[in-house]
Amino acid sequence: MINLAVLPIVLPLLSAIILVFFNSKVRISRLLTKIFSLIGFGVSGYIAWYVIENGTITLETGGWVAPFGIILVVDTLAAALLLTTNIVSVACAFYAPYSGLGEKENYYFYPFFFFLISGVSGAFITGDLFNLFVFFEVLLMASYALIVLGGDKVQFRESIKYLLINLFSSMLFVTAIAFLYGVVGTVNMAQIAERVAEVDQQGILTTIAFLLFFVFATKAALFPLYYWLPNSYIVPSPVISALFGALLTKVGVYSIVRVFTLIFVHRIELTHEFFIWIAGLSMIFGVIGALSTNNIKLIIAYNIIPAIGYMIMGIGIFNQAALSGSIYYLVQDMIVKAALFLLVGVIAYVAGTSDLRKMNGLIHHYPVLGWLLFISAFVLAGIPPFSGFIGKLLLLEGAFRNEEVIIAIIALITSLLILYSIIKIFIRGFWGDKDAMKGLTIKSTKGLIAPIVFLLAITVILGVGAEYFYPISDSIAIYLLDPDVYIDSVLKE
Amino acid sequence: MEILILILSGVLFATAIYNLLQKQLLRIIIGTILLSHGAHLIILTMGKLKTGQPPVLMDGVTEYTDPLPQALILTSIVISFGITGLLLVLAYRTTQENNTDNMEQLRGGSHD
Amino acid sequence: MIYAVFAPLLFAIFVPWISKFKDRIHTGTFVFIIPFIIFLYFVQFIGSDFNPIRQTVNWIPSLDMNLDFYLDGLSLLFVLLISGIGALVVLYSIFYLHKSEKLGHFYVFLLMFMTAMLGVVLSDNVFVLYAFWELTSISSFLLIGYWNFKERSRYGALKSMLITVFGGLSMLGGFIFLTIITGTTSVQAMIDQVDIILASEFLPLILIFILLGAFTKSAQFPFHIWLPDAMEAPTPVSAYLHSATMVKAGIFLIARFSPIFAGYEGFFIAVSLVGIITLCWGSYMAVRQTDLKGILAFSTISQLGMIMAMLGFGTQAAVFAAVFHILNHATFKGSLFMIAGIIDHETGTRDIRKLGGLLTLMPISFTLALFGTFSMAGVPFPFLNGFYSKELFFDATLGLEGVAWLAEAIPYLAVFGSIFTFVYSMYFLFGVFTGPKHLEQLPKKPHEAPFGMLISPIILVLGVILIGLFADKVNQPFLLHAAQAVNSGVEYHEVKFWHGFNLPLIMSLIVVAVGIILYLTRTKWNGIYNTLPGKLSFNRVYDWIVEKLDQYSTSITKTYMTGSLRTYMSLILGTTLIVTAIYMYITDGFAIDYSNLAEITTLEVAVVITIMIGAVATLYMNNNIAAILVTGIVGYGVSMLFVIYRAPDIALTQLVVETVSIAIFLLCFYHLPKLRKREEPVSTKLSNSFIAIGFGLLITLVGISAHSSNWYSSISEYFLENSYKLGGGDNVVNVILVDFRGLDTLFEITVLGIAALAVLALIKMQKKKGAK
Repeated sequence: MINLAVLPIVLPLLSAIILVFFNSKVRISRLLTKIFSLIGFGVSGYIAWYVIENGTITLETGGWVAPFGIILVVDTLAAALLLTTNIVSVACAFYAPYSGLGEKENYYFYPFFFFLISGVSGAFITGDLFNLFVFFEVLLMASYALIVLGGDKVQFRESIKYLLINLFSSMLFVTAIAFLYGVVGTVNMAQIAERVAEVDQQGILTTIAFLLFFVFATKAALFPLYYWLPNSYIVPSPVISALFGALLTKVGVYSIVRVFTLIFVHRIELTHEFFIWIAGLSMIFGVIGALSTNNIKLIIAYNIIPAIGYMIMGIGIFNQAALSGSIYYLVQDMIVKAALFLLVGVIAYVAGTSDLRKMNGLIHHYPVLGWLLFISAFVLAGIPPFSGFIGKLLLLEGAFRNEEVIIAIIALITSLLILYSIIKIFIRGFWGDKDAMKGLTIKSTKGLIAPIVFLLAITVILGVGAEYFYPISDSIAIYLLDPDVYIDSVLKE
Repeated sequence: MEILILILSGVLFATAIYNLLQKQLLRIIIGTILLSHGAHLIILTMGKLKTGQPPVLMDGVTEYTDPLPQALILTSIVISFGITGLLLVLAYRTTQENNTDNMEQLRGGSHD
Repeated sequence: MIYAVFAPLLFAIFVPWISKFKDRIHTGTFVFIIPFIIFLYFVQFIGSDFNPIRQTVNWIPSLDMNLDFYLDGLSLLFVLLISGIGALVVLYSIFYLHKSEKLGHFYVFLLMFMTAMLGVVLSDNVFVLYAFWELTSISSFLLIGYWNFKERSRYGALKSMLITVFGGLSMLGGFIFLTIITGTTSVQAMIDQVDIILASEFLPLILIFILLGAFTKSAQFPFHIWLPDAMEAPTPVSAYLHSATMVKAGIFLIARFSPIFAGYEGFFIAVSLVGIITLCWGSYMAVRQTDLKGILAFSTISQLGMIMAMLGFGTQAAVFAAVFHILNHATFKGSLFMIAGIIDHETGTRDIRKLGGLLTLMPISFTLALFGTFSMAGVPFPFLNGFYSKELFFDATLGLEGVAWLAEAIPYLAVFGSIFTFVYSMYFLFGVFTGPKHLEQLPKKPHEAPFGMLISPIILVLGVILIGLFADKVNQPFLLHAAQAVNSGVEYHEVKFWHGFNLPLIMSLIVVAVGIILYLTRTKWNGIYNTLPGKLSFNRVYDWIVEKLDQYSTSITKTYMTGSLRTYMSLILGTTLIVTAIYMYITDGFAIDYSNLAEITTLEVAVVITIMIGAVATLYMNNNIAAILVTGIVGYGVSMLFVIYRAPDIALTQLVVETVSIAIFLLCFYHLPKLRKREEPVSTKLSNSFIAIGFGLLITLVGISAHSSNWYSSISEYFLENSYKLGGGDNVVNVILVDFRGLDTLFEITVLGIAALAVLALIKMQKKKGAK
């Protein structure tokens, strides 16, 4: 039963390898992709259920006890994120065949897709810092390939910037791991945590913590390190953007959550206080970015940044309500962002442009798209009863409890501006004259709507059915506030 | 000696970064290579330099150098190699598609 | 009760289906049933022996967020308004909206609003209240944008949404604070803990948060600006949302929270002041309008200000008057909106400059408007309900306690505002119905509206008259309960027409007298009306904010999102460097320990220096081949170090990788353009050098500190001990790689595999392109 932990990594890996061999057979690839993603969904659902019922699963790979071998740890947090990842993966798998990928499907799109999922899943469940680096590289390598797929001029242009910035942060990551190893003599996260706690995070350790934070913050696209994100996320096709928007930055957020709730929790007045500032600035600049453009894809891409700000705000505040809010927000944002990227993908496709200034009155031709966008604007802005509200409510409660009033006000204003940035698309693009867009030909949106509805339905469930999910996020928060539980489950001393 | 190697790593980082901040793609690539050398040397140094035999077990030898950093470096070297390979091809294709190897001309973008 | 709240929303699900038959039967006919039944349901609660009732359905108990509906006198007043006016408005809309319109949408939004508004006034749980609150904003947005092919509609919809959602979010902040302080999410339970709230150091902040919510929703100065633009909505919507119900949500909120804040002086100052300013500003602005609905919009703003001010006074008399006026305003303003709609419908314009002399053509409408406007103006007739509450209002302004300057100013401001109320009321009535006719200017030939359209305003005007004639009959069984929910001290007083010749009556008479003079001499004042406030309008502030928001966000974003890799890298590296260095300094992180170091040998020094020279030389190479060779030297040098430091496996790998890399390099470099001389401005050089050297230094210093803080022995001891025993290999590094850390290796190979696949894909893509 305990081998369950390896499935989320190995299944997509095997799927990817199998799909390499069916590369030229597009129909089979599509079918297999759907099947594999559903299997992954089922397995991760089972794992989530199992972990919630029976507690953390640990798996010592190769049978080597921690801290010597690499250990996989599926706790509730990891299980929730795995499940969310697989939900996104299902939606993307079903969306991809209709999204006009064209010949990209022949360039190993589906294998890269599963490599990415494998890397993301691995990052969520590994209990070893160096192994985390390796999984980072797996998912990054897959993302490098995906971003350039299709081979447009702009794709090359953006992919090389994306690659170089990530390459630097990866190298800094390795260096920081080395420093940490030099001090505490181990790369197992639980043991690092134990040892850092013993020496009370003195001396150079806080500095190393900051280096690690910046590594993760670059991946998570926090202020002021997110420059690589907006343009590189909009050049690939929508389904790839959705995968990126939903998963990649969230791996960075996850890493910050893990490292700064487990390991570096002894100088909160320095580290976590700093995060609050970063979170606030991310919200402000992110949403300013979203307001700055008329490119609907870019609007969504910029909206990633304030959302990350919300999550980091919770970690910075570091009390039960705020952490619970961060987790809730993290999970729901993965789903919403995927839905939004898929949605603007369809909008740009049917409108023939992603320039908002050239759109008008689309609702008369595509009412379903319009209303989906309308709903997702409120989901994103955290208006009840949608899922964003629960996360935001908890974050604000946490902020007020710690008397962090300024960040709370920033968060409130940001959510208004987020709403504005999305509703702008609705007002300018969908409302208006029926015949305003000349030469608009009605295109089929067959197969593209269902995955979006699926994702948005989940956000509604997460919001309306918070009674079932909030206790989980709350128990995760309590768990994260007590690193000993994790340490004990890994080191079993 | 460790201090000297760390200074060397510092120099490698500094030159790497200086190269990374250049316009021409070729220089940037050289920067990334220097960067990985710097990082690997740091891993090695963190495991204590030269306090024994190579970590190949032999009878009668009790002092070995730290094997873990070496394993980590090996992993990292292979990964770096993969990335460098892709980077080179990508750089080549980017230059070809965009007719320039000057990153300043690859800004792209209207922000609209 | 819960069914009553959700009935409209549930019914809305069937509306799209019903609207398919709209050619035969107008969709509104079916929709009418819903508010009508709700109205009948709630009417039964009216009575002197009314007691609050509560109904709770669990939703998210673990977050204390439940559908907790609480019906007391105050909410009863509101639910009756919502359902009663709702029914009349739907009835009116059947004749107002043509069947060719998108009736399905209209009624879905309207029903959505009904549920939302019922939820707002019935929820005892603050978060549920907030949820319904935002739903009213959303449905209002959709209804204002109903005719979204009009630019003004879109503008008005966005404006109302931004302002009211802003207020809603602010209110949410206040609610969260209150729940933290009191540990409950129920308003009634909070009222029980008023002492704790009043003692909180955050009280001013909480008050501001909640007041912002109320002021934006109820269009109080200076947030009133969205309401005139909301008039782009179809008239039934204006009558319903933007006059009778939604804009009163803010009033409701203040009334609801009055028991909590009434004991705090800041509440008195803020609410009375804003209310009275709104009253004056709104009535003054109404005089300037030329659009019928514009007059009514500013009139609504001003009347809401008046109610708000009375809630701010908080005295028994004021609270009763406020509650009374909520009811009265709904009746006369509702009827006036419907008349305005009728005039628009029948003549094709709402521009008062084009209208005139319709008295003979539309006599019924005139009669209705007469009652409505006179009631609004507070003309002292016993059959006009507006007079009673206006009189009570004047009474309430007198003898206020609290901040002296404000208390003294209030009666004067009240009279001032009321004078203009009188003026615009007359303006509305006589401007439309008397004077010269300009029939040729009208888009349509006017005639009296169909009877169906007149039913609703007739019923409302009957309300005006009946409440006026039998004012005391609605008092005890109905209004008193509402007033007591706001201020538990309110006692029964008989509402009479004649109070004797007292100060309030004198104030009323002044209003009427000065009002008549101002109206008769209106042409002389046009100059002032046209210049004041001119550019001082708050609309401009809003437009300025929205415009600058777009403009500045674009320019700010453009300054750093340059697309230049160097900019990005510099910013990323610079931030990392500076912040990390600062924290290293703060935490006193640097440490150096000279013991336990390996000795320095000449060979090593020589290799190190070679590498350094090579590394630095890469900066100065201007030739492809030379650059590669120098890079190669660094690589081989590093391999050499690996040999020296007893790492044969790495050395070997490094050598192989280095050699292969150089081969690929050469291949690739052959195709890449030649290196050019570095040409960069001095400032660039300086900043590059600063970042590069700084970062190098940081790495060195952190490295030395980390190395000197070696507090724990490495876990490698275990590997050395167990490599042979358990791993079955002599070469510990290899055993670690393939066994202890096999997962690393598996995925390292995966990375390599993906890279290979990616390269393959790139080549394939190129071939395909070439073939084209």
